Amino acid sequence: MDSPKKIFEMGVWKDNPVLVQIIGICSALAVTNVMMNSLIMGVGLMFVTGLSSFTVSLIRNFTPKHIRMMVQVLIIAAYVIIVDIFLQAYMPEMSKALGPYVGLIITNCIIMGRAEAYAQQNPPIPAFLDGVASGLGYTIVLLLIAFVRELFGFGTIFGIRVLGDWWTSWTIMIMPPAAFFILAVIIWITKSIQEKDKEEKKGEVAKS
Amino acid sequence: MKKSFIFPIIFMIVVTAIFTFVLAFLNHSTAERIALNKELELSRKILYIFNIEPQSEEPADVLRAFEESIGTMAYEDNFIYVYYGDDGEILGYAVPVGGPGLWGSVEAYIGVSHDYSIILGLDFISHSETPGLGGRISEDDFKEQFRGLDLTKARDGNYIIYRPAPGGNVDAIAGATLTSKSVSNFINEDLDKFLKGRGNN
Repeated sequence: MDSPKKIFEMGVWKDNPVLVQIIGICSALAVTNVMMNSLIMGVGLMFVTGLSSFTVSLIRNFTPKHIRMMVQVLIIAAYVIIVDIFLQAYMPEMSKALGPYVGLIITNCIIMGRAEAYAQQNPPIPAFLDGVASGLGYTIVLLLIAFVRELFGFGTIFGIRVLGDWWTSWTIMIMPPAAFFILAVIIWITKSIQEKDKEEKKGEVAKS
Repeated sequence: MKKSFIFPIIFMIVVTAIFTFVLAFLNHSTAERIALNKELELSRKILYIFNIEPQSEEPADVLRAFEESIGTMAYEDNFIYVYYGDDGEILGYAVPVGGPGLWGSVEAYIGVSHDYSIILGLDFISHSETPGLGGRISEDDFKEQFRGLDLTKARDGNYIIYRPAPGGNVDAIAGATLTSKSVSNFINEDLDKFLKGRGNN
């Protein structure tokens, strides 16, 4: 069994779903114009990925192999509907702001990816942690993108004004294209750091 | 595991039944709350149009203020909201207006005074315009401009004209020309229909 530390290290950094696996991009582009939307979306995804991985793993030994994907989709859809109902009932403002994107969590590749790649072969508790870790990795990237977009696009952070009246908002930041190039820059930075790490490790092996 | 034909079917039925049951239970237990949220939001907007301030933002106060002064009246296949004063006299009407925006349909209510002479207020019920651009139609800075606009001076049904055009009375949203344009178009059209239907102008 993998240690929780290793699971989180994989989900957040080494195997980050958005930056390294390049999945879950659609929603990362769509909801990142303000930080609050990104945070709620991220928390929603963490909840769904964690619990669906947990459930998939729990019944993995009884699930007939050839219908496992049907079962996974069913489980994921059920948890997404729970999130949707919860937002409508207790956070109506958020539910309006996120609109159709909550329902679209179902189609987020991260969830099914984790269910197939990890939960199907591992016991429930590590599977749950793995789901949460991947969700956390996704959330962090979303918040990074949203931070840049909200700061330059509105001059605010979490709706609180940080840049004064002299600031002219950059309209492009609020439009979808901005998410494309900010995401690209973040991926670029991550890749450079990770490549460097790898080379250093190689060097160490060679020396010893 | 032995590959049986029946087992996967039974398994799928059982799993589906469990999840359906859980969801149905959740849906049932929150249905009332969700309906209340929707009603509350609409009430807030109608009160905003008539510039009525409830005692507080608490749901109970909002709904009480709404019940005390707002009624409904049939209008075409829809209905309009009527603003009643303390003695039951009619002070204004909130008319549904709407049309295509840039990305999707925009729905709004516009308040007209009882003698059809001025606009009392405007609020948007739903729209899907770009946040920060067209989406700014639902910000107070834009909506407040409509309060108190004179309807009697308008010609040819052009009640809303953006500055700096001659006779302009409202500022459009910079960078959202199409959204602004369609908002003024449907307000002018729907308002004209309402006012003509009432035998005025």
